[in-house]
Amino acid sequence: MPETATAKHITRAWTVNDPLVTVGDLKVWFPVATGLIQRSAGYVHAVDGVDLEIKAGETLGLVGESGCGKSTLGRTIIRLVEPTGGSIKFKGEDITHVRGGKLRALRREMAMIFQDPYASLDPRQTVGDIVGEPIDVHGLAKGKQRQERIRELLRVVGMNPRYADRYPHEFSGGQRQRIGIARALAVEPQFIVCDEPISALDVSIQAQIINLLENLQSKFKLTYLFIAHDLSVVKHISNRIAVMYLGKVMEVAPAGQLYKRPRHPYTGSLLSAIPIPDPAVELGRERVLLKGDVASPVDPPSGCRFRTRCPRAKPHCAEEIPPLETFGQEHLAACFYPLD
Amino acid sequence: MIGPSRVAELDMPSAGIETGGSRPAQSYWNESWERLRANRIGVGAGALILVFAAIAIMAPLVSAFITHYQPQTINLDQTFAKPGSVHWLGSDELGRDTLTRLVWGARVSLGVAFLTVAISLTVGTSVGMLAGYYGGWIDDVLMRLVDTVLAIPAIFLFILMSILFRPNPFTLAVIVASVGWGAVARLVRGEVLSVKQRDFVLATRSIGARDTRLMARHLLPNVLPVLIVAASLGVGQIILVEAALDFLGLGIQPPTASWGNMLTNAESYFFRSGWLVALPGVTIFTTVLASNIFGNAVRDAFDPRLKS
Repeated sequence: MPETATAKHITRAWTVNDPLVTVGDLKVWFPVATGLIQRSAGYVHAVDGVDLEIKAGETLGLVGESGCGKSTLGRTIIRLVEPTGGSIKFKGEDITHVRGGKLRALRREMAMIFQDPYASLDPRQTVGDIVGEPIDVHGLAKGKQRQERIRELLRVVGMNPRYADRYPHEFSGGQRQRIGIARALAVEPQFIVCDEPISALDVSIQAQIINLLENLQSKFKLTYLFIAHDLSVVKHISNRIAVMYLGKVMEVAPAGQLYKRPRHPYTGSLLSAIPIPDPAVELGRERVLLKGDVASPVDPPSGCRFRTRCPRAKPHCAEEIPPLETFGQEHLAACFYPLD
Repeated sequence: MIGPSRVAELDMPSAGIETGGSRPAQSYWNESWERLRANRIGVGAGALILVFAAIAIMAPLVSAFITHYQPQTINLDQTFAKPGSVHWLGSDELGRDTLTRLVWGARVSLGVAFLTVAISLTVGTSVGMLAGYYGGWIDDVLMRLVDTVLAIPAIFLFILMSILFRPNPFTLAVIVASVGWGAVARLVRGEVLSVKQRDFVLATRSIGARDTRLMARHLLPNVLPVLIVAASLGVGQIILVEAALDFLGLGIQPPTASWGNMLTNAESYFFRSGWLVALPGVTIFTTVLASNIFGNAVRDAFDPRLKS
């Protein structure tokens, strides 16, 4: 990996053992505008005080229901959405408010893979131009070298390099997702936010893409933030998993630990919702069914966000926001009355 | 028959590298062009306009080698000549050759129409793109400006402008375009608002591309189809507007020939020499009809909403 501009701006020596990404009390609020004169009528608290660390080389799974703010969190970390408050550190450097040239330099170290392989590729560009655009934007190669690099990237993601002059609509969802991955790899990033990269794909293709992502991770020493809306998908690929609910992280734990022994009642209910492909087990097991709907992110509940739907909620939950507390090695949960 | 794009849909094994075909890439433009070519009537209408445009461009040659008349040459011995071997399409009250004047008039009418469309599209696209992409107060300011322009009754503006500026083809095009760009701006803004929601815009930002690149390389190509449709439908409309302005005496002034002022002129001799009215009338009618048919064919072929 060639030395990049950001590396020069590091004030404190960052080592591989430090977290690659550190998110501190991150808030992202979107104004809710109403009426003719666009007066602000409150805020959507999409991300509301998130603390998170992503270690170099790991895959952090991020799960939660639709609208819990997981995509916004991912996009904010790579500075596609402006944070309202808090801080984001990348390789020890504060990138919360970097702009201009420094932000452009940062774009070479972070990339994103999108959910919808149809919307995320410009239909008017050839595959070669899509994959080559990061190369052009950062002036990484020209002419013949550029062509060779594009072919190499396509090969890396398992596509025929001859497809470079075709258009996205000529490909299937799985192949389009490979093109999107090739584009993300073009800048040789260290950190990739995978925003539900397999949710829109056929089940048969999902495994291929997961395997590709894992191969690429070991080949290029990548760090992933892997966003998904159900736990079964992230189980396979993640080292650690963070569970989000209504803009806050409820529980973070190593993947195995989270499945074996969830501490937060929300995680418990999510796990019990995963279907088990064995009718006998499925019949005998106990389901934790949640009542009601997710509360409004415009006016979230006081105290614990989850208390309105929590089977274990007590009066105290409404009074104070439960902090993330340690439950054994690397296991954090934000609950006053955790599961055993 | 299985279309060529079906082949690519068979997904390949993860590590597999297929033996790629040598089939040409199916770009959106290629496919639209194929669809347009398949529309016989539309192609015919487009060809007719091209022929008219070619004749208009070569008007001096037509004058010199085919009709052997100049558009403003007066011959008082040959007034109101009937169509025949001397004057193929007859002559007017000053003995000027009608065919020659129609050919030169095509220069004005088509020239003004194309120029107007070009100005409207350039200004409208720029304004609509900026308003749609940046949003916020830029959008507010620009769109209120568009609202204002569209609220002014066009005919009063035309009258005022032609009093202030002596109309020649260029000023006339600017005058008509000063109203026409508003609709284009709205159209483009709407498209940009829709296109910029799509993930590839975010993807382009995520790799560090600048706004100018995003607009020129991604937004413009994606709004181009609606611009092409607007342009092809706009030509016919503007020919009519221009002819109407000439007819009212607000456009191109005599003795310069235009289809519109040939009509005005002939009005007085309607009963005596009907063909003097019929010829420019039929020419305008044919051109506008051809433009509209071609415009519709282009819309059928290029409209992005018919295809993802």
